[in-house]
Amino acid sequence: MTATESPPTHLVSPLLAMKPRRVETGLLVMVGVAVAVAYGLASFGTNDAIPANLGPFLLWMFGLGAVAHLANRHFASAADPVFLPISLLLNGLGYVVITRLDGSLAALQSTWTAIGIGGYIATLLFLPRVRVIEQYRYLLGVGGLLLLMIPLVPGLGTEINGARIWASVGPINFQPGEFAKLTLAAFFAGYLVDSRELLRSRLELRDLAPIGIAWAGSLGVMVFQRDLGSSLLFFTLFVVVLWVASERWVVLAVGAVLFFAGAFAAWTMFDHVQKRVDIWLDPFADPKGDGFQIVEGSFALADGGLTGTGLGQGEPGRIPFAETDFIFAAIGEELGLAGSAAVLMAFLLLIGSGLRVSLRADRVFEKLFALGLTTLLAVQTFVIVGGVLRIVPLTGITLPFVSYGGSSLVANYVLLALLVRMSHEQRVSIRPAKGTA
Amino acid sequence: MNLRIRRLGVVLSVLYLVLFLQLNRVQFFGAERLQDDVNNTRGLIREFGRERGPIITADGVLVAQSVEYDGSVDFRREYPEGELYAHITGYQSLNVEAVGLERSYNDELAGDPIDQRFASLGDLFADRNSTATLTLSIRDDVQRVAAEALGDRKGSVVALDPRTGEIIALWTFPSFDPNPLADPDGTVANAAFDALVADPNTQLLAKSYREIYFPGSTFKLVTAAAGVETGLIGASTPVFPVATTYEPVPAGAPIRNFAGSACGGDLVELLRVSCNTAFSEIGAEWVGPEQMVTAAEAFGFNADLGIDLPGAAESRFPTDYGEQLADVDRYRAPDQQPAEGAETVLPNGAVPVHENSARLAQTSIGQNDVAATPLQMALVAAAIANDGVVMTPHVVTELLAFDGSLLDRVEPEPLRVAMSASTAAILRDAMRVVAEEGTARNLLTEGVVVGGKTGTAQLGTTPPNSHAWIVGYAGMPNEQPSLAFAVIVEAQEGASEQTGGRVAAPIAQAVIEAAFN
Repeated sequence: MTATESPPTHLVSPLLAMKPRRVETGLLVMVGVAVAVAYGLASFGTNDAIPANLGPFLLWMFGLGAVAHLANRHFASAADPVFLPISLLLNGLGYVVITRLDGSLAALQSTWTAIGIGGYIATLLFLPRVRVIEQYRYLLGVGGLLLLMIPLVPGLGTEINGARIWASVGPINFQPGEFAKLTLAAFFAGYLVDSRELLRSRLELRDLAPIGIAWAGSLGVMVFQRDLGSSLLFFTLFVVVLWVASERWVVLAVGAVLFFAGAFAAWTMFDHVQKRVDIWLDPFADPKGDGFQIVEGSFALADGGLTGTGLGQGEPGRIPFAETDFIFAAIGEELGLAGSAAVLMAFLLLIGSGLRVSLRADRVFEKLFALGLTTLLAVQTFVIVGGVLRIVPLTGITLPFVSYGGSSLVANYVLLALLVRMSHEQRVSIRPAKGTA
Repeated sequence: MNLRIRRLGVVLSVLYLVLFLQLNRVQFFGAERLQDDVNNTRGLIREFGRERGPIITADGVLVAQSVEYDGSVDFRREYPEGELYAHITGYQSLNVEAVGLERSYNDELAGDPIDQRFASLGDLFADRNSTATLTLSIRDDVQRVAAEALGDRKGSVVALDPRTGEIIALWTFPSFDPNPLADPDGTVANAAFDALVADPNTQLLAKSYREIYFPGSTFKLVTAAAGVETGLIGASTPVFPVATTYEPVPAGAPIRNFAGSACGGDLVELLRVSCNTAFSEIGAEWVGPEQMVTAAEAFGFNADLGIDLPGAAESRFPTDYGEQLADVDRYRAPDQQPAEGAETVLPNGAVPVHENSARLAQTSIGQNDVAATPLQMALVAAAIANDGVVMTPHVVTELLAFDGSLLDRVEPEPLRVAMSASTAAILRDAMRVVAEEGTARNLLTEGVVVGGKTGTAQLGTTPPNSHAWIVGYAGMPNEQPSLAFAVIVEAQEGASEQTGGRVAAPIAQAVIEAAFN
């Protein structure tokens, strides 16, 4: 298709037939009620009491939701109304489970949520058009690489739980890699806008060099930071975006070959990779040691059954890292298959909305950028949920919006704002904006 | 590009479908398998941390209770009396399988049975404490005396009401403190368990009903019962000739009396002096293998006694004595015939001998492969005291709801009929003679009618060691006996027939006194 073609009408969500912000209000109220009830139930289940801070909690949560919603009304009035409520639902549910697991983490998480919403609003406020980003693509690419390298700088970088992905400035720890994902997605999209036509018309060995570079970069992340999850994420992001841009299957084929070559090389070279694979193949070989986390996670999910033990009534605290990597198992235990499937559905809705933004984008940059951001969200969720469920080897990354983790939360809210911004841009082009613009 | 994006959408949908299918497998279709996995301690901990009902003795002493715990679980178990009731209550532990009542009455204590949970319609809607309180038949005063009387000698004391099977005292030394095993901290409990296993001065096994010993001469009560049941032997007839040795037929290891002494006489006299030679002959030639096995099993040997405590050991009486031999006399040497001019006619060969009747001669006096729990031997005495009927032994008498109302009463239930009432009466009288004039004189207690039988099970060690036994009954005059007992003191020095009476009888006497005061 050409860049000027207008989107076919069947891509218009039925929700768009209504006023999107009104729809969003309704969805937000439902999300608010659901999270508030969950919060009360979790506290009741844990302490047999309605939480004393229920009032302040509700105010805080409704306040954040309302502020974000008002920001949408002002800065992105035509955007798809699904993004914000679904993300807040996942964030709220995660917060309830984190509170139930560890009160002190919950206090931090609520602060991070506020900062995340702040980042969301700031992105909408300071970025009236996403295409602005395009001109900074190389800056962002270099910035992404620098962000990735911060943890390797002596004095700044910190190794936590075997992965050197943390940077410490004073008392604050953060994962620069979470933000590098966004800047690299912007860089990939921008770079491919330039080289897309070239790639489509011919394909020589040197044209595949970018894949090789991305591959080498991913391996670098894995080798130097021992972060398998992010490594996989970056590589998938690049291959997917390159494939869509070039419209060539060979990209996928070469990508797959490189992926397996890299994976095999990593497996032969690194003990920790071998261990991950061994645990994946048979976690019950060492159920009290290496396989403990995944085995306990499976037991938690099994305990949850169809409808769950009830919030506050299970024992998700038995799973190591239940509030971060294994929060999906904690949700599955206390809310059952009903709850865990609902979380999967929520992510599918987000991913669907993200892909729709990409489909409807009329400029290549937005199309590829939205695609990249959505791919990040989709692959990250698949990798961690698949790891918990033993579909893929476990890698320690967060479940977007749900897991405890400041960097991840803030970066994902910025990601969300970028999608919302693009969604708004495309919809004002088919719906006349209300009032003065 | 949109085509590729749609394809990506399809690929992602498939990937998420895989997640969804696997989620179904883990949480629903395969959940049961995961929950039953040996490594899955979730159910265990959940079970462990629940509130359970208390256990209380017949005289109101609290021996087990749930107390609120501030930590990984809501409740933990506490055993206020420590060692004294460890072998009865058992323990509920995170690390090792529960034993004792904590195991056999697990569901009731935890409040799981439907009738406990939904006693009334209102319970469908309210979360009521449905745990049951167990009332024991154990009397704390008697239990305490039993423990004190045995002191620091290894052994067991079992006392029960022969009319109902209700156990009044059940003590084994050494015992153990179950409290650390019930610690909600798995490492503490594990360390406690290892320490208990390693410590030679503690004993996790409730030997009173879970260990089998050579019963020695106390087993002669079973042989006597079988003999009387044949109809050929009464209290005073026949009179067995005085002998120092019994030569089995067909030839086998000869049976001798203790220290080469000679004994004989009627049944009462045989029991009074615990005459090996005569009881070997009664078992091997008057009763025969078939009837001896039947008699032993009628008392409960080779079978489960139905006690409401888990893991009870079966007592053992050998059943294989080979083929029946047609012609007895062929194997009988002339000097084996009764002495000429003996006072009585001996219908030798009342039963056909078998290939291995020599073994029967040994098992009839409690040797060879005979082994019994102290509980079994108490039931032998109890059957004699209760007109031949063995009542099912039990320690729990009542289950009470949280509000104190009666949930269930354990009714006395006959387990087996060991002998006829008339046989029982003959043996009761004979045992009384043993207590008043024989080896069990240490049993005598003022104001109480007692009967007993001692045993000294030689262990064949050098220097000679034996298990000292006493079994018997006690009751108020002219009333049916209300107490039956067995006491074993393990591996005592000496091997004389007096050992049982000297060592074990005073312990039983203390128990009788405590029970009847």
